Amino acid sequence: MRLWLILFKKEFKESLRNFKWLWIPLVLILLGIMQPVTSYFLPDILESFGDLPEGAILNFPVPTAAQVLAETIGQFNQIGVLIIVLAFMGIITGERNKGTNVMVLVKPVPFSTYITTKWVHMSLLMISAFLLGFLIALYYTFELIGTVPMSHVFKGMLVYCLWLLFITSILLLFSVLFNSTAAVAALTLGTTITLSLLSSLTPKLMAWSPGMLVSHTFRFFETGSAGDGFWLAAIITAVIIFISLVASTYIFKNKEVVSHTT
Amino acid sequence: MSLILTEALTKTFNGTNAVDQIDLSIKEGVCTALLGPNGAGKTTTLNMLTGLMKKSSGNIIFDKRYSGDRRKYIGYLPQYPKFYSWMTGEEYVIYSGQLGGISKQEAIKKTDDLLAMVGLSDDKRKKIAGYSGGMKQRLGIAQALIHDPKLLILDEPVSALDPIGRREVLELMKTLKKKTSILFSTHVLHDAEEVCEDIFIIKKGKVVVEGNLGELQKKYQKPTIYIETEEPLESWSQSLKDIEWLRHIEADNTKLTITVENIDVAREYILNNTGLRNLNIKSFQVAKTTLEDLFMEVTK
Amino acid sequence: MKVESFINDLQSVPWSLVAPIIILSFILMVIAFIDCFKHGRTNGPQWVWILVIVFINIAGPIAYFIFGRRND
Ligand SMILES: Nc1ncnc2c1ncn2[C@@H]1O[C@H](COP(=O)(O)OP(=O)(O)OP(=O)(O)O)[C@@H](O)[C@H]1O
Ligand SMILES: [Mg+2]
Repeated sequence: MRLWLILFKKEFKESLRNFKWLWIPLVLILLGIMQPVTSYFLPDILESFGDLPEGAILNFPVPTAAQVLAETIGQFNQIGVLIIVLAFMGIITGERNKGTNVMVLVKPVPFSTYITTKWVHMSLLMISAFLLGFLIALYYTFELIGTVPMSHVFKGMLVYCLWLLFITSILLLFSVLFNSTAAVAALTLGTTITLSLLSSLTPKLMAWSPGMLVSHTFRFFETGSAGDGFWLAAIITAVIIFISLVASTYIFKNKEVVSHTT
Repeated sequence: MSLILTEALTKTFNGTNAVDQIDLSIKEGVCTALLGPNGAGKTTTLNMLTGLMKKSSGNIIFDKRYSGDRRKYIGYLPQYPKFYSWMTGEEYVIYSGQLGGISKQEAIKKTDDLLAMVGLSDDKRKKIAGYSGGMKQRLGIAQALIHDPKLLILDEPVSALDPIGRREVLELMKTLKKKTSILFSTHVLHDAEEVCEDIFIIKKGKVVVEGNLGELQKKYQKPTIYIETEEPLESWSQSLKDIEWLRHIEADNTKLTITVENIDVAREYILNNTGLRNLNIKSFQVAKTTLEDLFMEVTK
Repeated sequence: MKVESFINDLQSVPWSLVAPIIILSFILMVIAFIDCFKHGRTNGPQWVWILVIVFINIAGPIAYFIFGRRND
């Protein structure tokens, strides 16, 4: 545990020094402000185009607070996830390609410690940034549009965090498997986008899929209670996260630390 | 008792053996050199000893007294050390110490001493990004020593250094070997002769010569005679070819080098040889071959 | 006439809502700018990144942190 904290602190310090702990939350906060403000002004903006036929305005009512929160999550889920995945695509690959992992792994450091400190740090940064951005969005939504019971919001965010952990764990797995950061990013984004798309196109077939968690989040915002198949998706996601972590450690342990000598 | 024994240790890359059935025995309290030309398999061997590379076959046996994770007992300097360049030198060594299992307070204290020893005291608060190659090499030695390893493994510790740095690191190794066993690789015999007791000469993944340096020197030293004349001596040297005490002959215009079995017989014969006298001897010198000649010979 | 409507538009902008966005994106730019300048190790020429950071709002600094900065 002492050793675990030492490696974790190193990850933390590194991300402080390269400003990840500053710019990523900042970007999510910006996203969190922009979405509710845009929703609030959308009717005005559309009106100012002026060319719209009389009465068209009526077709663009100001959305409900729960809808705005859902839209915010939608934004986070595209731009936010894209940014996080790109920011962490080198999580294992980076050190391996530079060779800086050699002098760490030649010390008595368990491979599982090396892997899990990186994963926990990445997840912590991602969830902190998302929560911060979401809190700001919540404030703006409540001020401009209307309120949603806090218990609904809380449950919805909890579910959304599970989806985020799913993303970080497959990112870790791909990073252990492949040496190219581009491949890691493409596979992670590809998997999450495919799962999300399939889940929204064929929700019945994909009821088990982690991709359903985002729509479950929306449902929690709306009603505060779990939709059909929520527990199935949640449990399967948790299992996938666990398996990814175990598999990452196992694969990492069995891979050469040094594969060429020059 | 050997600190590390390897039995038929082998590493195969795409069907070719980079390390081929190597049997090493690294003794405790001794400095051992792994000597070989480029591509001989030194780095590959060391990587298998540290566990950074998986062996293809064979065994690595660590002394029973040091059971468990063998990385605890090893300090390693890679041939091309790569650091977290966002850290300062001091931070890096403290971090290494903590990874090696010592407490933070202890790591801080030892880091100070070690950085002073390798001559980095003035630069320890600088980011490693701004270090020169030689400074990184010294930092690499400091991080390898911080957790008091039983065995210090250095992969070509002096190759990247200028003559002064080279001198300093070799002197440093002489001091270090009083406290810890050292295994280091080099392609320069002279470095090995300077600090080591034991040597393994490897070539194309195989050990070709091994043993105690002193004994090897005795065994492979052969009396050698250098002769220089005023007149060309090549045609005369043909007359020596069939003599039974001659081992090796090399003639070049007015210069001649011969290696012989028995120095007294050879000296007697040559100095009394009228054919040679007629060529006007300029110099006559008796010496001994060095291991360098052997090294050149076996790694040719 | 034009100027008048421009001033009208300006006044109708809800500054209390927009100001935080402007301020935060400015902070983001300043952080990226200072880091690019001080850290100095970039993939590709540093001056290009400085231009990207300064002239491309929000996306510029993000691109710098992800692709431009050499974190080793
Ligand atoms: N990943 C790899 N794939 C194929 N061949 C490899 C690989 N790594 C090393 N080799 C080969 O193994 C042989 C031994 O290499 P090694 O680096 O161990 O030699 P060395 O003695 O350390 O040489 P040097 O003095 O140049 O450091 C070389 O022929 C090298 O080309
Ligand atoms: Mg080598």
